[in-house]
Amino acid sequence: MQQSKRWAWLKSWEALMFIILCAVVIANLRLSEHYLDLNNLANIFHLSIEKSLVVLIMAFVIINGEIDLSVASVMGLSATVLAERYDAGWPIAAGFALALVVGMGCGLLNGLFAAYMGIPSLIVTLAGSIGYRGVARILLEDRSVGDFPNWFTSLGQDGIIGPFPLTIFVFIALFILGFVILQYSVFGRYVYAIGNNRAAAEYAGINAKQVKVTIFMASGLIAALAGAFYAARLGNVRANAAEGFELDIITIVLLGGVSIFGGTGTMIGVGLSLLVVLNLRNGMSLSNVDGNTQTSVIGLLLILSVLVPNLIQILQRLVPRLFTAMSRFLSKGGATEPKSQVSVHQ
Amino acid sequence: MTADPLLEIRNVSKQFGATKALSAVSLSLYPGEVHALLGENGAGKSTLIKIMTGIYQPDSGEILLQGRPISLHNSAQAQKHGIAAIYQEPLVFPDLNIAENIFISHQRRNPLVRWGKLYRDAEKVLAQLGVALDVRALARGLPLAAQQTVEIAKAISMDVRVLIMDEPTASLSIHEVKQLFGLVQNLRKAGVAILFISHRLDEVFEIADRVTVFRDGQFISTAPVAEVTPEQAIRDMVGREIGDIFVKEPSPRGDVVLSVKDLSREPRFHNVNFELHAGEVLGLAGLVGAGRTDVALALFGIAPAQHGHITYLGKEVHLHSPKQATHMGIVYVPEDRRQHGLVLPMSLMANISLPSVKNYRNQFGMVQRGKEVTTAEQYRQQLSIRTSSLSMPAGKLSGGNQQKVVLSKWLNTKPRLLILDEPTRGIDVGAKQEVHRLINQLAQQGMAILMISSDLPEVLAMSDRILVMREGQQMGIFERHEATQEIVMAAAIGQALDVSAERAGVNA
Amino acid sequence: MRRIRRWVPLQRLREFSLVIILIIVVLIFGNQIDNYYTPRTFNRISSTVALITLVAVGQTMVVLTRNVDLSVGSVVGFTAYYVGRYVSKNEDMAPVMLAAMAMGIGAGMGLINGLLVAYGRIPAIVVTLGTMAIYRGVLVEYSDSKSVATRELPDWIKELPQESIFHYGEYELRALPAIALAAVIIFFFLLLYGSFGRRLYAIGSSPEAANLAGIRAPRMVTLAFTMCGAMAGLGGMLYLARFGTITVDAARGMELQVVAAVVVGGVNILGGSGTVLGAMLGAILIGTIEQSLIRMNINEFWKDALLGLCIIIAVSVDRILINQLTPWWSRTELQRMPEEPHAAV
Repeated sequence: MQQSKRWAWLKSWEALMFIILCAVVIANLRLSEHYLDLNNLANIFHLSIEKSLVVLIMAFVIINGEIDLSVASVMGLSATVLAERYDAGWPIAAGFALALVVGMGCGLLNGLFAAYMGIPSLIVTLAGSIGYRGVARILLEDRSVGDFPNWFTSLGQDGIIGPFPLTIFVFIALFILGFVILQYSVFGRYVYAIGNNRAAAEYAGINAKQVKVTIFMASGLIAALAGAFYAARLGNVRANAAEGFELDIITIVLLGGVSIFGGTGTMIGVGLSLLVVLNLRNGMSLSNVDGNTQTSVIGLLLILSVLVPNLIQILQRLVPRLFTAMSRFLSKGGATEPKSQVSVHQ
Repeated sequence: MTADPLLEIRNVSKQFGATKALSAVSLSLYPGEVHALLGENGAGKSTLIKIMTGIYQPDSGEILLQGRPISLHNSAQAQKHGIAAIYQEPLVFPDLNIAENIFISHQRRNPLVRWGKLYRDAEKVLAQLGVALDVRALARGLPLAAQQTVEIAKAISMDVRVLIMDEPTASLSIHEVKQLFGLVQNLRKAGVAILFISHRLDEVFEIADRVTVFRDGQFISTAPVAEVTPEQAIRDMVGREIGDIFVKEPSPRGDVVLSVKDLSREPRFHNVNFELHAGEVLGLAGLVGAGRTDVALALFGIAPAQHGHITYLGKEVHLHSPKQATHMGIVYVPEDRRQHGLVLPMSLMANISLPSVKNYRNQFGMVQRGKEVTTAEQYRQQLSIRTSSLSMPAGKLSGGNQQKVVLSKWLNTKPRLLILDEPTRGIDVGAKQEVHRLINQLAQQGMAILMISSDLPEVLAMSDRILVMREGQQMGIFERHEATQEIVMAAAIGQALDVSAERAGVNA
Repeated sequence: MRRIRRWVPLQRLREFSLVIILIIVVLIFGNQIDNYYTPRTFNRISSTVALITLVAVGQTMVVLTRNVDLSVGSVVGFTAYYVGRYVSKNEDMAPVMLAAMAMGIGAGMGLINGLLVAYGRIPAIVVTLGTMAIYRGVLVEYSDSKSVATRELPDWIKELPQESIFHYGEYELRALPAIALAAVIIFFFLLLYGSFGRRLYAIGSSPEAANLAGIRAPRMVTLAFTMCGAMAGLGGMLYLARFGTITVDAARGMELQVVAAVVVGGVNILGGSGTVLGAMLGAILIGTIEQSLIRMNINEFWKDALLGLCIIIAVSVDRILINQLTPWWSRTELQRMPEEPHAAV
C-alpha cells in the first residue's frame, strides 16, 4: 500500500507530460547543438509569449466547464485599439489602458450571454471571435500601424536579464499567480467544483453564474494584455493580429490534462504541456519543419492523449467479456462459468 | 387463462454494490392477465422492470418466454421479444413530433418515412386509446399526461406481448384513467400479459387479476385478487423486519423555527401547512412523486414556491437561492448524493469545506489547508467516516460514508434547520444506524430537522411528528404515538383504512 | 390560427422568418446601393454562398447529433489541392469521376473523425480540433508547400463557375450554386423522409431515449461525420473551380463561417432540431450581408463585426422566442395545465 502510494504520481497526467518533455528535450539536444544556447532558450518562450499568457486563463475557462474561442480576436482587438489610439495621438499608456478595458468588456459580454442567457459558450465565443475581429477591422481597416516609441517596443523585444525580455517575467509572475489562485484559493475551489458538477456546486450555495462571468472577464483582460505585448514584440499592428491563435491555445490546455468537460486538470499539467509544445515546436523549427506540420504533430498528440486512455478503458472492459465468451465456448455442455469470477478483473 | 405462462421470471437476483436490489424473486405472467406488482419505494420493482426490458442484466436467475430461456442485453432485444415498458417518467424525443415518437422503433423496417401514412397510423393508434392528440405537434412541452399517452401508444404499436406499466396513472386524470383501463381491457382480450404497477390500491383492485407483493427486494406473496384485501396487501408491503432500528429519544421541543402556511408550487404541491420546532424531527412521508422533495427544494430556494408564506425564526422570508438559504442557516441534504450532494472527483476534505470555504481564508484569500484538515478530521471522528485518507476523492467512498461527508459539509455551516431527503437510502445497516444516532443527537442539541423518507420504519422511529403527502396534497400530520406503518401507508396511497377512520383530527 | 399551427411545423416557421429577414435585408441594401437589383448582384452572391452552403449541409448533419466538425476547412483545403494536383496531371479525367474522388477523400477524413468521436469516445471538439491541424499538416507535407495554379487546370474546371445551368433573362443559376442547391434538396428530403435522417434527429434530441429505442448511436454519428466529410470534399472541388489557385492556406478559417451559417440557420447547436434548408438560408443571409457591404460606400471592414452580431442575435432570439413559442405552437387537445419546468439547476 505504502509502496504503491509512493509511485502513484507516476500514473498522473503531469508525470506523463514530464516524461514526454524529457523525451522532447533529449531529442532536441541531439538534433541541434544550438538548442541550449541562451538565445535559443529565450526564443522558445519569447516567440510564443502571448499564446502562453492566454493559455493560463484558458485553463481556468475550460476547467470551469466553458470554452472561449474569442481570445485571439480579443488579442487582435486590443492590439488594434492600442495602435489606433496611438495613431490618433494618445500616449501609449492611455491606449494600453483602454485596450485592457475593451478586453474586459468583451469578456463581460461573453460571460453575460453564456452564463445568464444560457447560450453555449462555444457559440457565444464563436460569434465573439468573429465580431471582435470585425471591430478591429473597422478600426484599422487594412492599415498597418507601427512606429511605436522605443521604450514600448523594447519592452517586448529587448532582454532585461540576459536575452529574456520583460514579458517572460510577466508570464512567470502570472503563472505563479494563476497556480496559487487555481490550486489554493477559494475562487479556485469554486472553479473546480462548478466545472465538475455545477448542480452540486449550486446546491452548496455557490453562485456559479457570477464565477463564470468573472472568469470570462479575466479571460478578456489577459487576452488584451497579451495583445498589447504582441504589438510591442512585433512593433506594428494589423487588424488580423493573432489570428488563429485560439486553436493552439486550447490545444495546449487540453494536452495539459484539462478535460473539455471541465473539472479536471492542474496548472502544473498545463505548464508542462506548454513546455512540451514550445520545445517540440522549437525542435521542429531547428530541423526546418514547416509551421503547419508542427501544428499537425501537436494535433496528433492531442488526439492520442485522449484516445489512448479511452482505448485502455475500453479494452479493460472488453477483455474480460471476451474471456467469458471463450470460457463459455470451451466449456460448452458443461457448467457455464459463473459471472462473478470474471467481474473481479474489472 | 391458459395453463402456460407467457413470461416467467425465475429466481432473479441483482445487486448494486452493497445493496441487494432483488434477491431470488420469481414472477409469472399469463397471456390475457393483468398482474399487479405492489411494494414500497425501494422494494425492487423498478429493478425488475429494468431487467425485464434488458437495461440491467440479472446477476443470477433466468427469464423464460413461452418456456424458453431468453437473454436480454438491451432494450432493442426486449422489444424484439415483444416486451415493452411504459416508464413512470416518460422518455420522449422533445424535438420529434408525436407521430414520430410513437413509431420511432419501427423506422428500421422502412428506409423512407411516409409521413401521411405515419400520421394516419398514429391517429389510429391514439384513437384506439380513445384520445385525440395532434400527432404533428412536437413532443417538447407536452404535459406529462400526454407524454404518457404517447408512450402507451408507442408500446401498443409494437405488437407487444408483455406490457409493463410502471405507475401509468400517476399523472392522469380520472377520465384519462378510465380510458386507459378500457385500453388495458382491450389488450387483455388480445392476449397481452400486463404487469401493472401502481400505488393506487383501488385501481389495482379494479383491474388486476392477480397481485404480487415485493418487499426489500424479496418476493412476499402472489394471490388472485379475489383472495386479498387492501388491508392485507398493505400489511404485506409494510411488514418490514424492523430489526434493531435506532429509535429517537424524546427531545425538548423548543421555539418554532419554521412555519409554512399554504405553500404551493403548481403542479407539484399545493397548500402545505406545518410548523417545525427546534429540537424536533418532522418526518415527511409519502410515495415517490408525492411532492415531498419539491417542498424541500422550495424551502432551500432552488425551486421557489409560488404561493404561501414561509416564516423562519419569526420573520417572513422569500427563499430564492440556495446561497441565500445557506446563509440563513437552512441546509438541504439531497436525495441524489452523486448528482447534487457531492463533487465526486474532489477530495472528501474539499467537499466538507465547500459551502463554508470562505471561512478558511487567510488574509491573502488562500485556503488554509491546515484548518481544513482539522475540520475534516474532526468530522471524520465525530461521524466515524471510514476512509484511508482525507484527500480521497468523494466518489470512491461507499454510500454511507458519502452521506456522512454530505452531512459534515452542512453541519460545518452551523445550520438551524436541516432538511434531509432520504438520508439513509442505499447505505448499509451500520451506517444507517450511525446516521440515525446523529439525527437524534442533533435534535437533542436543538436543531430543527425536516426528514423526507420513504422508509416507513425509519420515519416511525425517528420522527416526533409525521406529515404525509400524496400527489402534492397534504394528507395529515400524525403525532408519533398515533402513527403506525399501516396508517401512514394508507394515507400515502389514499386508501381509507378502518384504523384511520377511528382517529380524529386527520384532515385527509 | 389553430389550422396554421396544425399544418405548419415550427421548423417551417423558423425558416420562413429567416426568409422574411432576408427580404428585409435585401430591401435595406437595395435602398442604400444604386443598381443593387441587378443580375450581377444576384450572380455574385449566389456563387459566394454556394461553397459555404455545400459544406454547411454536411455540418448540419453532424450538429444534429450534438457534435461539431471543426476540421471541414482543412478537408476542403486538402481535397482542393489534391484534386487540383491530380487533374493537372490527368487532364482527361471525367468531371464526375473527379467529384467522386473529392467526395471519397473527404468521406475518408470524415470517417476518421467519426470513428474517433463515436468509438474512441473523444469529444468531437477535441477530435476535430486535432484533425483540423493534422489534415492541414498532411496538405502541407503532400504539397511540399507548393501551390496549384490556375493555368495548370483543364479548361472545363476553370469555366465551371461561369457555366450557366438555367437562366431567366440575365439571372443565371450557375453551376456551383446549382450543385449546392441540389445537395440542399437531396439532403432536405433525406433528413425529412429517410429513417437515417430521423434517427439523427432522435439521437440529438435525447440520447437516453434513443438508446431505449434501440438506435445505434455510434454508427449513426460515424455516418454523419463521414457524410459531412464527403460534402466538404465536394466543397473542395468547387473551391478549386472557383479560386483556381490553391495554396496550403486554402479554406483556412472556413469552419467558423460554416458553423456560423448553420447556427444562424436555426440548427440547434445542442442537437435535435434544424434543417439543411435553414442552414442554406443562414449561409445566404450571411453571404448577402457580406457581399452587399462590399458594394456599399461604408467600408467593407464592417462585415465581420456585423456577422458576429448577426450570430449572437440569431441565437439569442431563437432561444428566447422559440422556447416561448414551442409549447404554444404545438399545443394539443390533451393539455390540461401548463407544465412547469422541473427545478433547473
